[in-house]
Amino acid sequence: MNGGPALVSIMRQGSTLIASVHTALNDSELVRFEHDLVDQIGEHRSRGVIIDVAALDVIDSFAALTLRRIADMARLRGAQTVLVGIQPEVAFTMVRLGMGTGAVPTALDLEEGLALLAEQGSHHPRPDEPEA
Amino acid sequence: MSATERSGDAPGHTADDVADLIPMVRRIVYSRVGSHPSAEDLVQETLTRVLSAASTVEPGMLEPYAIVTARNVVSSLWRDIDRKNRNQHRLVDLSAPEPPEKQVVLEEEQSAMAAALARLDERERRALLDHEVDGADTHALAARHGTTAGAVAAQLNRTRARLRVEYLLAIEHVDPPTDRCRPVLIALSSGDQRRQREVQAAQHLLECEPCARLSQPLLERGQQRNDCLRIPVSSDADIVSARRAARELATRLAFGATDLTVIATAVSEVCRNIVRFAGSGEVVVELLEAPTRGIQIVARDGGPGITDVDRALGDGFSTYGGLGLGLPGVRRLMDEFAIASEPGHGTTVTMTKWEGTDHERPT
Ligand SMILES: [Zn+2]
Repeated sequence: MNGGPALVSIMRQGSTLIASVHTALNDSELVRFEHDLVDQIGEHRSRGVIIDVAALDVIDSFAALTLRRIADMARLRGAQTVLVGIQPEVAFTMVRLGMGTGAVPTALDLEEGLALLAEQGSHHPRPDEPEA
Repeated sequence: MSATERSGDAPGHTADDVADLIPMVRRIVYSRVGSHPSAEDLVQETLTRVLSAASTVEPGMLEPYAIVTARNVVSSLWRDIDRKNRNQHRLVDLSAPEPPEKQVVLEEEQSAMAAALARLDERERRALLDHEVDGADTHALAARHGTTAGAVAAQLNRTRARLRVEYLLAIEHVDPPTDRCRPVLIALSSGDQRRQREVQAAQHLLECEPCARLSQPLLERGQQRNDCLRIPVSSDADIVSARRAARELATRLAFGATDLTVIATAVSEVCRNIVRFAGSGEVVVELLEAPTRGIQIVARDGGPGITDVDRALGDGFSTYGGLGLGLPGVRRLMDEFAIASEPGHGTTVTMTKWEGTDHERPT
């Protein structure tokens, strides 16, 4: 992060990355976030990614596509993504806009998100790791 | 940043574990409310809550738990500030008082406000106080009084207009010399131009010295609370500012949370089209009174224009390399939507959301 308050924080929790968006992001900031997060997924060989978007009061088509793209890139690197904290008004608006979250699963909060990853992790081991 | 490595056999967290989180909690709180005097209190509040739950939080979960807690603590502060600001702004919404000879001015203002409230009828006073002080929203008030949110908002606006007039009369110790004074002042206070013509407000101000003097803060206020915003748009950051400004203006009407989000999202989409295709343009956001209350957004640019408007409005038309859901999606979000485009001369999108059409609410 270079100067100013952090817009997003990315934390590692074992094999899971937890990305919290702290404020509304403009398009350039969304793209930077996408790159940072995808880099870290590769670097840490993460298996799960949680993106907390509770602070986003608007998820328009660009933001929705960016989130989807992050999930696609994560999947290519062997990680499952879960979006948590989407506000109900925001979810409703995304659907009316024709976006939805695509194939990206959502959960109410961090705790549910982690539980969802734990559940899916047992069914989808990393391709390059032997099954435990 | 990575979580502290731990063996996994710890039966719970200790105060030392919580102490390790202090830098992170401080960073989260300060990044959001760093300039606020209670920032350090919020850090302490967060740590206290985390500490009291530490023994029951699962191993490895303390850090995420602290993040969530910090954010909840911060957002509850925002809610408090927001509520205070709204109430101050609404109840004593006149031009700023003279530099305060503090206590005296305050007491005078309070007794003027009490006198002004006393001049409202019981029903008006109840509705206003429920809304301003107890935070009942227009939907809740509408349900309580068997009417619509729009009608409640309109009534509240009329009540506020009267309250401002009564407050001014009380604080300036003016006893209106004619029967026409109050109706004129109220019409000015509400900014209702049709009503101002009906009561011949302009003519009365020429003839009545006290009203001419009192009308100044009322008129100045009307200008400050302009019902129309013009926002230049030429960058990513402008898109965010424009949708914020539109949402803020829309909160003056009785829009529910869903409609506010819908409006902000629609503004975001049309602004992005301006930035992507034309480079720059402007958005004009305006509150409408007729045929019913609503908000109109006009997005204009002088860019290359759209050659095939029908195609651009068809789902699946690829605009900026994405799925091209921009315009057709916006059309679905708004109650009215029109687009005029001339190749080589730019595009104008005009869209409207009416108050009280929010039938589809999230469950
Ligand atoms: Zn008069």
